Parts: sequence; C-alpha cells; structure tokens
Amino acid sequence: MERKPVFNDWCPGCGNFGILRAEEMALRELGIDSKKIVIVSGIGCSGKIPHFIELPISGVHTLHGRSIAFATGIKTANPSLEVVVNVGDGDGVGIGMGHFVHLGRRNLDITVIIHNNGVYALTKGQASPTLGRGVKTKSLPRPNINDAVNPLAVALAAGYTFVARGYAYDITHLKELIKKGIKHKGSAVIEVLQPCPTYNDVNTKEWYDKRVYKLDNDPAWDPVVKREEETKTKFEKAMMKVMELGEKISLGVFYQNEFIPTFEERLEQNIPNYREFYPAIQPIELKGIGTTKITELIKAKRV
Amino acid sequence: MTRHVWMIGGAQGLGIDTSAIIFGNAIAKAGYYIFGNREYYSNIKGRHSYFQVVFDEKRIFSVSSYTDILATFDAETLFQHFTEVRDYVIYGIDYENTSLDMVKSIEPEIAEEIKKELKNGFTVKDVINYLTAKGVKVIKVNYLEYLKKIADTFKLPLSVVERSKNMIAVGASFGLLGLPFELLKNAIQETFKNELFLKFNTMVAEMGYNLAPNAYHLTVREVKKDRIQVDGNTISALGKLAGGLRFQSYYPITPASDESTYIEANQNLDVIVEGGELRKGGAVVVQAEDELAAINMAIGAALTGARAATATSGPGFSLMSEGISWAGMNEVPVVITYYMRGAPATGLPTRSGQADLKFALNVGHGEFPRIVIASGDHAEIFWDAIWALNLAEKYQTPVIHIIEKTLANSYTILDEDLLTSAPVKIERGKIVYPTTERFNRFEITEDGISPRAFLGYSSIFYTGDEHNEEGHITEASNNRLKMYEKRMKKLETADKEIPEEQRVNVIGDGENVLLTWGSPKGAILDAMDDMNKEGLSVMMVQVKMFNPYPVTLMKKLLEGKKRVIAIENNYQAQGAEILAEKTGIFATNYILKWNGRPIAREEIIYAVKLIIKNGEKKVVLSYGA
Repeated sequence: MERKPVFNDWCPGCGNFGILRAEEMALRELGIDSKKIVIVSGIGCSGKIPHFIELPISGVHTLHGRSIAFATGIKTANPSLEVVVNVGDGDGVGIGMGHFVHLGRRNLDITVIIHNNGVYALTKGQASPTLGRGVKTKSLPRPNINDAVNPLAVALAAGYTFVARGYAYDITHLKELIKKGIKHKGSAVIEVLQPCPTYNDVNTKEWYDKRVYKLDNDPAWDPVVKREEETKTKFEKAMMKVMELGEKISLGVFYQNEFIPTFEERLEQNIPNYREFYPAIQPIELKGIGTTKITELIKAKRV
Repeated sequence: MTRHVWMIGGAQGLGIDTSAIIFGNAIAKAGYYIFGNREYYSNIKGRHSYFQVVFDEKRIFSVSSYTDILATFDAETLFQHFTEVRDYVIYGIDYENTSLDMVKSIEPEIAEEIKKELKNGFTVKDVINYLTAKGVKVIKVNYLEYLKKIADTFKLPLSVVERSKNMIAVGASFGLLGLPFELLKNAIQETFKNELFLKFNTMVAEMGYNLAPNAYHLTVREVKKDRIQVDGNTISALGKLAGGLRFQSYYPITPASDESTYIEANQNLDVIVEGGELRKGGAVVVQAEDELAAINMAIGAALTGARAATATSGPGFSLMSEGISWAGMNEVPVVITYYMRGAPATGLPTRSGQADLKFALNVGHGEFPRIVIASGDHAEIFWDAIWALNLAEKYQTPVIHIIEKTLANSYTILDEDLLTSAPVKIERGKIVYPTTERFNRFEITEDGISPRAFLGYSSIFYTGDEHNEEGHITEASNNRLKMYEKRMKKLETADKEIPEEQRVNVIGDGENVLLTWGSPKGAILDAMDDMNKEGLSVMMVQVKMFNPYPVTLMKKLLEGKKRVIAIENNYQAQGAEILAEKTGIFATNYILKWNGRPIAREEIIYAVKLIIKNGEKKVVLSYGA
C-alpha cells in the first residue's frame, strides 16, 4: 500500500523537529521491527508526532493527558510491543500528571519522552506547568504566578528507573538518550528541553545554548546503579542533579536502576505464562465457541 | 403461598453478610430458591446494615416489603425493622432495656418516624410489646450466657467469641423453619476455614437451633440439578471470563469493585486450545490510578486484540466520558460495565438507582454509536456480559452494560444449567491479519464496519481527530462527511442485524403493560401470579437494549394497549422517556421509586391495583429501611 506523505504542520524552527528526527534515528539504529513499535501521544503539538514519523510504525494519538494510560493498556496486553510515549509538558505533567506519577510506581517497560517548551503552544501560548514563576512569555497577560514543576524530580520520586534530560537542538545526543531509554528494562523518562520559537520568547535557543552542558563530559558521573546497595546514593545524587535548571542546565542520564522488577515481571509472579501467552494473543474461541472453561469457577459456587 | 422472608440486621462489620450467606446457603441445600438482598451504609464499621433473604420452592427475583422472621442481635435492628415483622422476632435480653435515644447510629430523621410509630415508650421492651400486641411471636435469647459458655468451653476470651452472636440468631432462625441442623452445619463448614472458629460457630448455631420451636415445618426438597449461589458482581465476572475477557482495568468504587477483584483472584484460567487440550491463560487486571486511566487502559488493551473491559459506577463513569468518546471515534471494542447506584454526585453510594440511563445513552461528546444494554436478573447478567463483548467487537464500538446495585450485591440460587447448557458463542467481527506494511484501519465500507487489525501486525494509525481511512488527521470536508457517516452507519447495521426479540423480554399478555428495565423486572415477575389472580390483566415488557432501540417490536407490543405503566427506580421514568422519543408512545401511568432501595414484590401489587382499580396516575414507592 503506497503511503501518502503526511504534511508536517509544526512551525518552522520548532524543537519538535529535533525530537522527531532523534526518535526516528534511535528506532532505526536499534533495528526494532517497525510493526512492533507503537508510538502513543497525547494532545498538543507534540501529539502529532506519530503521524510524522516516516518509519512504518503504529501510532496512537490519544486524549489530552491520557497517553500513558493508553500505553499501559497496550503494553500490558501485549508486552512484545515496543511502546514509546510522547507527551507535551502541559499534556504529560499538567492534565496528565496523575498517570505520569503512577507509571513510575509500576515500572512498566515503556519510554516516555516529554516535550518541554514551557508553554501550551497549540492554544496560543499559555503558561505550562514547567514555566518558572515570574516569567512572562509573550502571550501571557501577566508574569506567571505559579512555580514550575520539575518533571524529573517527580519522576524520581515516583519510581521511574531511567531518568534523563536531552535538548531538542542536540539531535545526536538526544538520539543516544532515547536509545538508552528504550533499551532500559523498566519505566524510562526523557525530558527534552525544546524552544518554542512562536510562543516562548524567553527560553529560546540562544538562552538554552548558553546554559546546557553534558554530564557525559564529567568522567566521575556514573548514574547507573550497578549493585543494589548503591541505590540510595545514586538516587540522591540524581535528585540533586535534576534540579540543576538555572544558569547551568545538566543534560544526560541522571539515574538508571534495573534492580527494580518491572510491571511485566510483577504480573508474571501472578500469571506464570504471562510472557509467552499474554492477553493479546490468547485465542478465545474455536469455530465461534468460547474456549475459556469456567466449570471450576461455577463448581466453587455450588450449594 | 410458599414464599418466606427472613431478615437479619446488625452493625456493619459484625458479620451480617456472612450470617445471611450461611443461612441462605443452608436453605439452598434444603432445595429452596433464594433472593438475598444486602443493604448497607457507606461505612466500614458501626452503621446499621441488613440482609433480607427471601426463599421459595420456585425461582424468585425480588425482595418483600415485610419479613416473616426478624433475627436481631442488637437494638438498632429492632428499631429499624419492627414494623415489617409478621411472625417471629429473635432478640437478646441483654439489650431489652436499650432505648431509642441510646442508639446513636440511628439517623434523627429515622428516629422521629420510629417515635411516631411507637407513640409512647421507646425501649426495646416497648417494641416487643408492640409486636406481641400484633400477634408476633418472640424468641428471647440470652446471648451473653451462650457466649460465656463458648468462651469457657474453648478457653477463649469473651471478645473473641462475641462475633458468633450472629450464628446464634441464624441457628434459632433455622430451627424455626424446622429444617435439619445438619444442613446449617454443612453451610458453616464451607464458610469457616479456621478450625477453631468453625467449631465454636457450629456449637453456638446448634444452641440457637435448639432454643427455637419448629414453627414452619419446612421439608427438604429433592433437587435434581446442581445449583449455585451467586451475586451479581460475580456472575458478571463469570460471564466476562467465559466471553473471553483478557484485560480489565478498574478504579475502586462501590458497587463495582467486587467484580474486578473476583476476576483478579481467578485470573489463571483454563483455556481449551486446538486439539482439545487445556492450557492456562491469564486475564490481566490492573487497578488504575483513576477512572480516566481505567477506561483508557482498557481501550489500549483492546487495540492489541485482547477483549477488554472496565467496571465502574456513576462517578467513575462520569470521568470515563472523554475516553468513551475517543473509543467511539476510533471504533474500539470496549465494554463498560456500569453498576448504577444512587446519584447525583456521591448520592447514595451504597444504594441502588436507575437515574443514569440517559447519561449512559449520551455519554461522551459527539455522535457515535454507543450500544447500551441493561440486565434484569442474575442469569441475564451472565449472558449479557458475553453479549456485550460480542457486540463491542462486531460493531467496533463501546458497549455499556448496565447492572444496578440491587442486582450487583444481591445473591440468588440458580440452576447451573442456566449457564452451562448453551454454548458460549463468540463473535469477533471483521478481524484481519494484514501482511502489508501499512493497513487502512478505517476503510469505508457498505455496512460501516471496517476490517480490524491489531497493533503489532502492520503500521496502523489511530487518532481522536477526524481521520482518513489510514487513520491520519484530516479536516477535509468530504472525508468528514464520509467517515462520520461510516461510523454512524454501524448503528444502523447493528439495528438491522440484532433481532428485536433479543432486545425485549415479554412475559404474559394483558391489556395493561408493565413497562420496565433492569432490576424492577424481578418484583414484577414475582408479583405476576397474584396480579393475574386478582384479574388485573397485566403483561411485562422489559427493555434490554436501549441503543439501538427495538422500535418496531415496541410499537407492536404497546400500540392499542389500555395502559402503559412505567416501573422504574428513578424520578423521571427515563426508560419511558426513551420509549416516547423513539416510538412516539407515551407511558400512561407511573410506578416510581428513588429512595435507593429495591422495589418489593408487594409494592408492585399495591401500586398496580391503585392504578388499575382506583385510577391513580402515578404511585411513588417508599419501602425499605
């Protein structure tokens, strides 16, 4: 089937282009079978990303704030799929904050990419939950009177086991982060700092370029928990580091811990053959007749 | 007349449910059918809850507005229910002197009514005098004495054995019926796993049994078929599992959660695979962070090909509204089991209601096919749960299955073959396994139903925005016209394909139609014989599917009838309003009840008589503490 190209309607210079390219490259380089990849997104400029990806992946463009819930259903019903969630900052940590937190508690093996540009761009530039107090981007009638939430600090507190930050204009670096996030066993979150050339006239490319630096350049920085006993110290260091969002902004992996069982492993404890006989592939009928036997369940109710 | 009514009450947390389930189980073992209804406050411990067990030689479906035997082990139960007792009251001398004012958990509005009824003297003794004056017989129990005996025998502190008061009351009740103690003993044995608890509960039950005279002389009836004792939550879960459900997400809410926890407890299923062998198959249950997540997780799971559902009640369903709209737009087969309770807002969270019918029919913004079905009894729930899963996949759209609290929390005795004698038919609709790289999920077709492939088999796109056949966003006018029509056409297809006879239950024939849906069916069925004997010329028409509505059949059934009497647990008679909207036929009379309690069999007889014989337009019912 010949595919008609989908016209990409993001603004020229939008940080989303960097994320799109980095994500595409990461998926290509990982060599994952495209039909096994499901990109789930919410509402906002970021939400359109699955439609723009050129690989023959599947895309589920969901509701505002709810992409993680959809992704949780998709991944638990079919753990053989590679599920990546793209959320905006308003989408993911505003209206969707509840699901964002609870994914961490589950440590389901999916990757969440947060497009963080500080504004609700598609509705013409209102302040998002990641915009700092006192900041007045151009559409705001008055300076923002709410403090900013730090998505990665929340993620750490919630239990995400891979926490990283990238920058939309450093595609190669971001691509590597996404690859690591996807390969990670457990819930991964990658916050991507992303200028919005149309509505965020404060946190611009120039503003970021002056501030961002890479943790990888510091040979002493090792965010990976290699022995379980390191968990506490590595976690604490990560928590300090993710807060660095002022004159210096750190980019890279802050924390990675594969000692925490994933949601799939937890389900496997209760359903021993869950991995090979998961809900999506169980045949439920033979020639139109149901194959699930409930005889024993009925017997248990006998008087 | 073989219908018997028994009631036990007490403070929540003191084993009311357990005692009623054991009592009912013992009676079922004696070969009787049961309808057992549970009424309770939104509270964990201390508030008054009660359980009414109605039993008969034939299948029964409803509560009664009186009780033959009232079993109590606290004062509040007597105060709350004394006006309902006809034959026997069992009570403890240890609370004989308790006065109404001392029972702090009675709500002031209720206390006022009790005072009005008792007139002067507001102690338990006064209640007993009131009852004996009316000819009610009294079984006095010295609970403390029995408990002390047990405590001494088993060398246990009194506080440990205190809970077994309920078993004394159950024992005495069983004694009154005159059924062999052995049956009660067996029922107790099946309930208590702990050896010590089993022993002393059996012992107190026997003490209770021996202190009551054989008043009803019931005999053990021969039972030819296996029977089960099951409540609405459980039978819905059984139906879903038999129907191939493999994913359920939910957020805790009364009275829906028990269904999900039952599925989780029994998630490792026996599945027949090709060749006839059995293999274990697991149903995943996810307790979500809220109902927004619950519905959207179920939708996500459905996209992968698993039969997926959620279960909730009013407040949760409100939150699911946006997700249901997305499922409608994206043609996702998802089932929402809607346990209806007292609304609006938190309303009467542990009581029943039918006030959300129109909400269910209109949930979610925009136009899309929402199939809505409502079950009227426990066996219906089982088959409707399967039906819902089939409809969802066949028409690729959300299906809402309504079960009210009255059915969810009540239990019944069913012949097992009602569930097992017919094969479980599974219809999955147009499923394809594409080999192409890309797949057009929303292909425009004649009947509106597109071939459906699951995530993981090809490149497939979904979006809540209007989309083209590929599932990509488009706002093009022409595409909008076609795609919109395609979605809506599925409802017409469903309307053509689903026989209208499956969408309506008709019982009897007469010039007065008792038009209903959901649980009031039970009270009507149980009242049918008596109404016919009184020459009321009634028939019951129970609507089971509200969308697509069985227009032709309903017209055929109702046109030319003398009266159409709408019977519903709401204020507006919403089912009758839907009838008027769809057929232009209006109800002529109304029997309505919105106090959160189920409609009793006797209330139906009383109200139908008022309408047919006295010409009343509308009767509002109020029974139920």
